[in-house]
Amino acid sequence: MSGDDLNPAAMAQPVEDVQGDGRWLSQHSRFVQECKDGEPDVLFVGDSMIQLMQQFEVWGECFSPLHALNFGIGGDTTCNVLWRLQNGELENICPKVVVLWVGTNNYEHSAEQVAGGILAIAQLLTSRLPKAKVVVLGLLPRGEHPNPLREKNSAVNKLLRSWLPRLGQAQLLDLSGELVHSDGTVSSQDMFDYLHLTSAGYRLVTKPLYDLLLQILEETPEERRASLV
Amino acid sequence: MSAESSNPAATPTPCEDTQGDGRWMSLHNGFVSYSKDKEPDVLFVGDSLVQLMHQFGIWRQLFSPLHCLNFGVGGDATQHVLWRLSNGELDNISPKVVVLWVGTNNHGHTAEQICGGIMAIVQVIHNKLPHAQTLVLGLLPRGKMPNPLRERNANVNKLVEDALSSLPYAHFLNVDPGFVSSDGSISYQDMYDYLHLTAHGYQAVCEPLHAFIKSLLDKPAEN
Ligand SMILES: [Ca+2]
Repeated sequence: MSGDDLNPAAMAQPVEDVQGDGRWLSQHSRFVQECKDGEPDVLFVGDSMIQLMQQFEVWGECFSPLHALNFGIGGDTTCNVLWRLQNGELENICPKVVVLWVGTNNYEHSAEQVAGGILAIAQLLTSRLPKAKVVVLGLLPRGEHPNPLREKNSAVNKLLRSWLPRLGQAQLLDLSGELVHSDGTVSSQDMFDYLHLTSAGYRLVTKPLYDLLLQILEETPEERRASLV
Repeated sequence: MSAESSNPAATPTPCEDTQGDGRWMSLHNGFVSYSKDKEPDVLFVGDSLVQLMHQFGIWRQLFSPLHCLNFGVGGDATQHVLWRLSNGELDNISPKVVVLWVGTNNHGHTAEQICGGIMAIVQVIHNKLPHAQTLVLGLLPRGKMPNPLRERNANVNKLVEDALSSLPYAHFLNVDPGFVSSDGSISYQDMYDYLHLTAHGYQAVCEPLHAFIKSLLDKPAEN
């Protein structure tokens, strides 16, 4: 992974305001402010898959009670998330777990580049937050029928599965288990546009994530033991 | 009419599958085949603001009981909706009311062009469904702070409201409950990304919308 400097998916880059309403920077600025106001135990960061999670019941019922912040922005690539994390979204907070979900929007990049971009974000997280665990969510299948982007996303997951354990505190969690049916199709009941999850889809796929977060937070020692003494 | 043919917003155009997973056409084909065994009284058509409405509890609460179908596709501009409606999405159904909400994604188009695109869609709906009434929803403000797209959307609304006033089979409804506060900002509690609505934002939009649709269903069309 010495080629990171040459990997376009591992280069921090803000989103250009091509539409002219400044929404991306407004969201980033809000997240930086939230870092000053909150003390999250869990930080969620990534693209629309993270962002939309907050709009459905599963967030209020499962994740918000874990003291979670949600820094998801629709359309973000690994480059954009890298830029945000280097520019204030990790200041003033020390979460115990960071959940990272990004990469399906990296259309211009190969599977190796996308995996390298995700790895670069995970490395940044482990160096800035040495006590935190990093849970990287595997990229989900997309499209109603089999297509090259599905293959690319699963190739990214495969690379991450072998690369991430070297970071020690990072692991891959693949949530895609039940989404592709035996005939190769994805249902609009689970992904309303064959990319984004429905409320039911979130419930289905995030169960293993919720269990893992509970387990990690349980393991987190100090205060808990201190409070027992 | 010759002006319309040179208006990109009023020229039926399928969405190009630049990403390569065929999702747009899957959604369109899904709508066409899904509509074959449905008898909706109300059809919603448009972009992500229509599509995401379907994903929130408000849809089941207010609109499912009215027998509504939702043909929203994220990212669609007027020319895409025009293509979809001209290519099968209206062929198997005869709703009494069509709710149209599209135009905020027409990047690079003027307010006049977007209005022309919306009016072309209204015309296709009237041609295919002569007994239906079309309800065009006003474009919402966007961006956390004042910006040119907010002004453009407001101009589209003025033009569309004016153009629809002479049509007995079409209506305009401004569904902005006042998302812009006195300091000019929009809250993320209403629009989580300063464009798309939260459940709370949908609540404020959908209650008056529901009342308007009910009033249209209760009275016959005037054509
Ligand atoms: Ca009228």
